[in-house]
Amino acid sequence: MSGLYVRWGVVAIVAVLLGLLAYGHYARNVATLTPEEVLAQRPHGVVRVTGLVRGGTLKGNLAAGRVRFTLAGQRQTLPVQYQGPRQENLRELKTLVVVGRWDRAARIFRAHDIASVSNYGFVLGAYLVSLVPLAFFLFAMERKAGLLYKEIKDSKLYEPEWSDDVVAR
Amino acid sequence: MNFFEVIRVVAWKDLLCEVRSRETISSMFFFALIVILVFSFSFSMDQQAAHELIAGILWVAFAFTGIIGLGKSFSAELQNDCLEYLQICPAPKGAIYLGKVAANLLFIVTAEVILFPMFVIFFNLDVVEDLPLLLLIFFLATLGLSTVGTLFSAMTVHIRAREVMLPILLLPLAVPVMIAAVEATRGALNGNPLALYRHWIDLLVVFDVVFTVVSFWLVDLILDS
Amino acid sequence: MLNAIIRKLQLYKGWIGAAGGLCLGVGLYFGLVASPPDYYQGEVVRIMYVHVPLAHTSLLGYTVLFLGSCWYLWTRDPVVDNLCHAAAGLSTFFTAVALITGSIWAKPTWNTWWTWDARLVSFAVLFLILVGYLMLRTFIDDPEREARYAAVLAIVGFVDLPIVHFSVEWWRTLHQPLSISMRGVSISREILTPLVLMGIGFSLLFAYMLIVRTQLLYLSSLLRAKKGRLLSQVHLAKVQP
Repeated sequence: MSGLYVRWGVVAIVAVLLGLLAYGHYARNVATLTPEEVLAQRPHGVVRVTGLVRGGTLKGNLAAGRVRFTLAGQRQTLPVQYQGPRQENLRELKTLVVVGRWDRAARIFRAHDIASVSNYGFVLGAYLVSLVPLAFFLFAMERKAGLLYKEIKDSKLYEPEWSDDVVAR
Repeated sequence: MNFFEVIRVVAWKDLLCEVRSRETISSMFFFALIVILVFSFSFSMDQQAAHELIAGILWVAFAFTGIIGLGKSFSAELQNDCLEYLQICPAPKGAIYLGKVAANLLFIVTAEVILFPMFVIFFNLDVVEDLPLLLLIFFLATLGLSTVGTLFSAMTVHIRAREVMLPILLLPLAVPVMIAAVEATRGALNGNPLALYRHWIDLLVVFDVVFTVVSFWLVDLILDS
Repeated sequence: MLNAIIRKLQLYKGWIGAAGGLCLGVGLYFGLVASPPDYYQGEVVRIMYVHVPLAHTSLLGYTVLFLGSCWYLWTRDPVVDNLCHAAAGLSTFFTAVALITGSIWAKPTWNTWWTWDARLVSFAVLFLILVGYLMLRTFIDDPEREARYAAVLAIVGFVDLPIVHFSVEWWRTLHQPLSISMRGVSISREILTPLVLMGIGFSLLFAYMLIVRTQLLYLSSLLRAKKGRLLSQVHLAKVQP
């Protein structure tokens, strides 16, 4: 029985480690801020911001890859200056993820990359819903098998039934 | 006693019991009236909406009414050990099954024929032109419910949670019957040309044939002691 | 002869389970890391690598249930009855998870949690039939009758499922409130590899779980019978003068 717990303990630890790895990947490459958060936190370093490109604010030379626009959040907006390769999905009224740095001095977000909004939540939910119950099911089944085996050994299922004094009578 | 005599005798026995006690038909009838009442409260319907929904409401009422009748067909046999006598009697079990199906069919169709004018009155429908076709649809759909329902009624009569297991087992399997019956009834009530809903009636016929044959084969295993 | 094959097969259940786990692991790697996102659906298409194999495995389990029920009615072997019970339990689990993952996939792609589509409704009906089967087994006390009735229910249900699918499909082409295009995922080799791997993995895992659960059911019924006999003997021994 202890072998069973060791096995599944290892599986659980591996799963937790993979989860931490995945979370690290997510935090670095997928997680985004809102414009309100950028304006409030004024982060250093490269961050990703999700917002809606406000209609009528996209100005500049799209072909040369230098544009300015306003990225709108729920309540506040963020001025963005994008400088980078030409992006096809940079259009007005589209929800985008802009990757770049917050320039404190000029109070403008300098973006060098545009990405589309990802919806990892659904994928994560679906995989968790299918794999975690499967693991529990397997664990419960093997545990029951172990307990049953122990009970069969204890009840001496395969030894003779009749006790000696009953036979002698 | 040959095969068809057994069917006739079993159906006649059920009919006689029913005529004397009238318990199945009356309980089905009043239950259906209550369903009509509940539906009329649940949906506040004007004429247009009633026209859309009436086929569905009709068949929901008929399905649950039929389940009551089907449940009673074998649970009435529990008194005086009649079920054990049915199980050990030397007649072919398939014939007993078909006799029960015939009796159930008769009861449920009678209930439907009595209830349909009630629906017309309470929901203020227009007069229907194509009555024989409507009766055919009622007959075929009820036959579908009865074949599988009688088999499951024989199965569930021994079970603890008898009354609730029959709908749980029957209704998922009767989904094609319900869909086809509702669509065909809607077509007939609206006066659509037959070609539009002809395939639903064909589906009902196919369902009836397939499940009468399958249940007939399998009932030997159920009505065994 | 079939019995001999099955008895031989169960010796390798550990290997089957391990192979299933391996296939799943490799399939997960391919599905989550090594395959590209779909052009239209984006990352969400990765749910397909879990949902479709689960659905296929639940249908496989249902077929095993049907064949096992026919086999039981042919030979009346109680171990085959345990196989049917195990297959039903596993199929219920896989169907439920398939329905939930399908719903989670539908929300970002079709913007609705549920739709009255032929496949979804057939799966819901399948789930209800299986739950009814398990309830029937729980509520009958006599084991021989339970086995017989459950086998009959499995056969009737299996015959009915294609009819349900077709009738709902006809019904859906009649009323189309939402014009939803079917999941048009272009099948390329990168998409096929994880799909096939996960499918094989889940099927092998299903086989492993089936063998283990059948053994569990068989041994616990054996234990119960033995305990019953032991108890009755102890009682008799005490009652005798």
